[in-house]
Amino acid sequence: MGYEWQFAIILEYWPIFARGAITTLQITLLSSVIGLFIGLLVGVSRESSGVFVRSVTSIYVEMIRATPALVQIVWLYYCFPIIFGYQLSAMTSIIIALGIHSGAYVSEIVRAGINAVDTGQFLAAKSIGMNHFTALRRIILPQAGQKMIPPLINEFANLMKLTTLGSMIAVYELLQESNNLIATTYRPLEVYTFLAIFFFFITYPWIWLSQRLERRLKMRA
Amino acid sequence: MLRITNLGKSYGSARVLSGIDLDVQPHDVVAIIGPSGSGKSTLLKCINFLERYDEGEVRFGDELVGYVEASGQRRLATERQTNRLRAEMGMVFQNFNLFPHMTTLQNVIEGPIQVKGVARDEAVRHAEQLLAKVGLADKRDVRPTKLSGGQQQRAAIARALAMRPRLMLFDEPTSALDPELVGEVLTTMRELAAEGMTMVIVTHEMSFARDVASRVVFMEGGRIVEEGPPGKIFTNPDNARTRAFLARVLH
Repeated sequence: MGYEWQFAIILEYWPIFARGAITTLQITLLSSVIGLFIGLLVGVSRESSGVFVRSVTSIYVEMIRATPALVQIVWLYYCFPIIFGYQLSAMTSIIIALGIHSGAYVSEIVRAGINAVDTGQFLAAKSIGMNHFTALRRIILPQAGQKMIPPLINEFANLMKLTTLGSMIAVYELLQESNNLIATTYRPLEVYTFLAIFFFFITYPWIWLSQRLERRLKMRA
Repeated sequence: MLRITNLGKSYGSARVLSGIDLDVQPHDVVAIIGPSGSGKSTLLKCINFLERYDEGEVRFGDELVGYVEASGQRRLATERQTNRLRAEMGMVFQNFNLFPHMTTLQNVIEGPIQVKGVARDEAVRHAEQLLAKVGLADKRDVRPTKLSGGQQQRAAIARALAMRPRLMLFDEPTSALDPELVGEVLTTMRELAAEGMTMVIVTHEMSFARDVASRVVFMEGGRIVEEGPPGKIFTNPDNARTRAFLARVLH
């Protein structure tokens, strides 16, 4: 192939990548926080005794898991304002949409973590008169937490990759910045190749960490 | 102190308890014996409502456990009401169920601090006394996984006692232990009985039941077949099934 790679172009435009990377990181962090918050709440609720709470949270989890993240994002950005009369900015839309999206997956991680704790622990907590919430907070979640950490880190890495969906609603994250750069430089090969490598380097460490922690937990068990 | 009247429980169509009547007076030590699957453990768990009974009643002091009665109807008590009663009954489980993420001391002070709102200093002081009493003073800062089965069960007894219960429930406390570790747990329980603690014990330790219990209850098929003082039950039971069971386990 006679193509002449010119990666120098990346060096020249590095501030654009840096800007995109910062936005990508912002989306990842903020939507992770939202996802963690929703996921913890929903995960715990799905294990509670209230039938109403349990069905509402189940519907949420199944709806989110059975629809594509991209559809959720464009729905929040385009449909939500028409129905509810309130326009969210593109950045806010993707953060909230990804937060809600990951909340469903985090809730399943939380639920699996709670279920993995020996039922005798709940009995022991109840036998000393603890209420359900205190038992969860003091006895069950600290034990479940350890088991939840590896899949949570993995979920964080997933979110990092999902941020590229922001380009569909013109959020200036890494992919959108790359597209714009290509429009001025006409160098898609270099830009997209660099983008792929860049994503690998920011995502893989988390996947690696997650696997390592999981192996360590297994060995201790 | 504890009065069980016509208690019944089913899982779907399977009846596990029926027509249970049992009266426990202060300082009584009641041993419940019987073949596995006879409903002994379920009965014990109905007393502090870890298992929900559906017929009859359990009264602790004057209070109905697990339900409230209003104008002839009864409905489930609130979690708070049930927890208040549970806090006054200590329970010791077959598998210890110590909290593995906490040290022995933390296990013992958890209930008093979180449930009763006892000040930390006071809870620690009481816990140290209890750990000394069960012979684990030197294990206060050790995690349960580092303890032997016998030590774990003694720690679990200390955890239950820390709530200053009026009644102690033991659910086959020595069944998960290696034979050489059974003695130390029974010794602790014997001391507790000698101090006048009211106890209901589900057990397979016949010699312990004979020596320590003030009353022995023999259960089979979800019913109480016979009850009486150990001297009578172990030497001259009225019921043929009691006799058959004892013949099996004592020889």
